[in-house]
Amino acid sequence: MGLENKLEPDNWVDNYSDELYRYTVTRVTDSGFAEDIVQETFLSAWRAKVTYKGEASEKNWLYAICKNKIIDHFRKHSKNIVKPSRAEEDIYFDKVEHWRDETTPNEWGINYGQPIETKEFYSILELCKKKLNNIQQSVFVMKYMEGIEAENICKVLEITPSNYWVIIHRCKLHLRSCLEINWINI
Amino acid sequence: MLKKLFEISCKRATFLASKKEAGKTSFFENFKLKLHYKICDGCRLFDKQTSHICKNAKHTHNHTDVAMTSEKKQKIKDMINTVRIIFL
Repeated sequence: MGLENKLEPDNWVDNYSDELYRYTVTRVTDSGFAEDIVQETFLSAWRAKVTYKGEASEKNWLYAICKNKIIDHFRKHSKNIVKPSRAEEDIYFDKVEHWRDETTPNEWGINYGQPIETKEFYSILELCKKKLNNIQQSVFVMKYMEGIEAENICKVLEITPSNYWVIIHRCKLHLRSCLEINWINI
Repeated sequence: MLKKLFEISCKRATFLASKKEAGKTSFFENFKLKLHYKICDGCRLFDKQTSHICKNAKHTHNHTDVAMTSEKKQKIKDMINTVRIIFL
């Protein structure tokens, strides 16, 4: 008892804006969109503060609102998406669908069981992610950064499951290759 | 004949890797994938490396120094104050 969670709206911006911004900008990529999402998070939270029951910590409550805004962002921006084109994988595979010599994955010589702690990896991943098209970025972020199930991603982005699997495949092909070239330097 | 039945291409194997990760492959597809990995280092590495990338991606925000400008922060504070006045 006595550990009741309380809201301190006067300190929200000072306490949480930087971390919510970092969380958001690494997901939506564009700094302008990220700033707007953080702003909307605080304003929505302020309007909803009477509904706060103190079950989650103030921080987790704000994060939950922010995460919803991020999904809304993807929903809004999926309206004018391009459906997967046919030939994109052909950069990597030859006529019989085997790896081309120059795109065959190389051994990276790292410990795959160990979490990656080097800043370099994350900044290069960001750059590689920016090279994906919009729908690929949305799917990648929702699946691997927000942990949303495929069925829900399809619903939010209004894509078919078969489009979804094609997009995931391409995300992985592009990101892996981009990281091998720029991070591992092979 | 038999070879044709069990063999899959690298394009197919890398495609199936994501479906397998989500538990969406059939028993037979899993079997074909396993067989393919036995003969194809490239696809095995692809699976290992992409799993590694995807597992770590969600931590990106903990490894960046970007911050919001103080002007933007002030703007948000001002907006909250405006909302406060309207609501009171």
